[in-house]
Amino acid sequence: MKKERSLYIFLLPSLLVLVGVVIFPTIFLWYVSFTNYDLAMGWEKRDFVGIRNFLFLLFEDKDFWHSLKISLFFMIFVVTIEFWLGLLVALLFHRRIRGKRLWMSFLIIPMVITPSIISLIWKLMLNTEYGVLNYFMNLLGFPKINWLGYENALWSVMLVDIWEYMPFMALILYAGLQSLPQEPYEAVLVDGASPLQAFRYLTLPLLRPVILIAILLRAIDALKIFDIVYGLTQGGPGNATELMSLHIYRLGFRHTNWIGRASANAILLLFVITALTTILLRTMRRSLTGEGA
Amino acid sequence: MRRKKFAQTLLLDVLIALVVFSCVFPFLWTVLTSFKTRVQTTDPSVWIFRPTMENYRAIFQKRDLLLYIKNSIIVVVFSTMASLFLGTLTAYGLARYRFHRKEDIAYWIISLRMLPAMAVIIPFFLLGRFLGLLDTHLLLIIVYLSFNIPFTIWMMRGFIEEVPKELEEAAWVDGCSRFQALRWIVFPLISPGLAATAIFCVIQSWNEFVFAFFLTSFNARTVPTTVTFFLSVLGVIWGEMAAVGVVATLPVLLFALLVQKYLVRGLTFGAIKS
Repeated sequence: MKKERSLYIFLLPSLLVLVGVVIFPTIFLWYVSFTNYDLAMGWEKRDFVGIRNFLFLLFEDKDFWHSLKISLFFMIFVVTIEFWLGLLVALLFHRRIRGKRLWMSFLIIPMVITPSIISLIWKLMLNTEYGVLNYFMNLLGFPKINWLGYENALWSVMLVDIWEYMPFMALILYAGLQSLPQEPYEAVLVDGASPLQAFRYLTLPLLRPVILIAILLRAIDALKIFDIVYGLTQGGPGNATELMSLHIYRLGFRHTNWIGRASANAILLLFVITALTTILLRTMRRSLTGEGA
Repeated sequence: MRRKKFAQTLLLDVLIALVVFSCVFPFLWTVLTSFKTRVQTTDPSVWIFRPTMENYRAIFQKRDLLLYIKNSIIVVVFSTMASLFLGTLTAYGLARYRFHRKEDIAYWIISLRMLPAMAVIIPFFLLGRFLGLLDTHLLLIIVYLSFNIPFTIWMMRGFIEEVPKELEEAAWVDGCSRFQALRWIVFPLISPGLAATAIFCVIQSWNEFVFAFFLTSFNARTVPTTVTFFLSVLGVIWGEMAAVGVVATLPVLLFALLVQKYLVRGLTFGAIKS
C-alpha cells in the first residue's frame, strides 16, 4: 500500500492530546520530584535538591516502606482470592440455567457502582455498633467484630475490594470458558479422563491467556486503589490501611505539604505499575497475535 | 441417580443465589437506608417501615445535589464526546493503514490507560493552579481525556476491524474519498460499537474520584466527591448519604445494563471478545 498523507490526519490529533495530558505532566512530575517544593511556599522559592526526596523515602520514611509492603500484600491477596472465587463463580454459571442472563446482570452491580460512594455504604454496613454485618453475625451466634479497628481495617478494605471486583474476574473467566472449543473435551472424555482431570489438564491451559490478562488487569488496578480506601478509612486507623496512593496523599496534601517528596513517591509507584503494565501488554500482544486478531 | 443429580443441581443453584445475593445486598441496603428516618438508620433490625422521603428532600434542598449532578453531566458529556471523536479517528488509522511500528504505537497508547491517577494528580494540580484552571469543568474534561482516549482507540479499533474492508474499497471505486467512505459506509456499521464505547466512557468518567477530588473544590465538584460531606467523625447522616448513593448510582446501573453484551470486551479494552 502506498504511503498516504491522510494517515496523519487520523493519528495526530489524539496523539498530540495524549502527549499533552499524559507525557508532559509525567515529565513535570519528574521535575517536581527533584525539588523541595512545598504547597505552603511560593513556586519560585523552590530549590533543586537532586535525589534527596528519593533518599528520604527509601532511608528515612518508615511509612513509605510500610505502604509499599501493605500495597503489595493487598494486591497479591485480593487478586488471588478474586481469581479463585471468580473462577468458581464462572464455573457455576458455565451450565444450563434458566434466566442466566438476568442472574449474571446482577454481578455487574458491584463493578459499575460508584466506588467512592459504595465505600461509604460499606462503612455503614461494617459499623461495629449498628452495622448490618454484625447484625447478621449476631443472628448466627458470632460475637461482634470491630471491622474498621486497627487490627481488622486492612482486611475489611480487602473484603470490599473483593466484593467489588470478584465479578470482574468471574465475567471474564466465564467468557473465556464459553469460547473454549468442544472437540478436545469429547476426545479426553472418550479416553476416560475424569472431569477434574479434564479441568486441570485441558481447561486451565486453554484459558491461560485469558487468566493472565484478567489477573494482570486486576493487579494493576489493585495497586492504584484510592477511592475505596479513602471512603472507608482514609488510610487509618493510624497507618493501618495507608496503601501507596494514600501515602502520597498524606505526604503531599493532607498532613504535610511536601509536594516534592510526594512526587518522588508517585514516581516510585509509577515504576511498579510500569513493570506490571509491561508484562500485561506483552501477554496481550502474544495472545492477540496468537488468535490472529 | 436422578435424585442425586437433582440434589447436585439444587446445591449449585443455591450457591448462585448466594453469590447474586451478596453482589446485590449493599445496593439494596443503600435503597433501604435512603428511606429510613435518622433513628432507623442506626438500627439494622428494622426491615419493614413506613418509607420517608425526608432524605431525598434534604439532599436536593440542603446539599445542592443538583449542582453536582449538573457538573458531572457537563464533564462526562464533553469528555466522552471529545474522546469518541478523536479516538475513533485514530482507531481508524490503526485499523486500516499499514505503517512502521504500528503495534508499538497501539500498545504505547493503551499503556497510558494504566497510569495511576495518584501519580499524575500532582502535576495536574500544579499546572491547574498555574493556569488558573483549578475548580473548572474544562480542567476535568481535559484530564479525563487521559483515560478516555486510549480506551476509545482500543475499543473502536476492534469494531472497525470487524467491518469488511471490501465495502470501503467498493466505495472508493465509486469515487468516494477515504473520509466519505468512513462517514457513509463505516460509520453506520460501527455505530453500535460506538454507542457501547460511549457508555463505557460515561461510566468511567461518572465514577472517577481522584481527579475530581483534588482538582475541584466548589464550582466544578462532581457527584463522587460528595462523599466528603459524610466523612465527619460525629453524626454522619446515613440516610442522606444513602439517598445520594441511590441517585448517583442508578443512572450508572441502567447504562451498564445496556452494554451487558459488550461488558467483557470493555473490561479488557477489546482484548477478549465474547
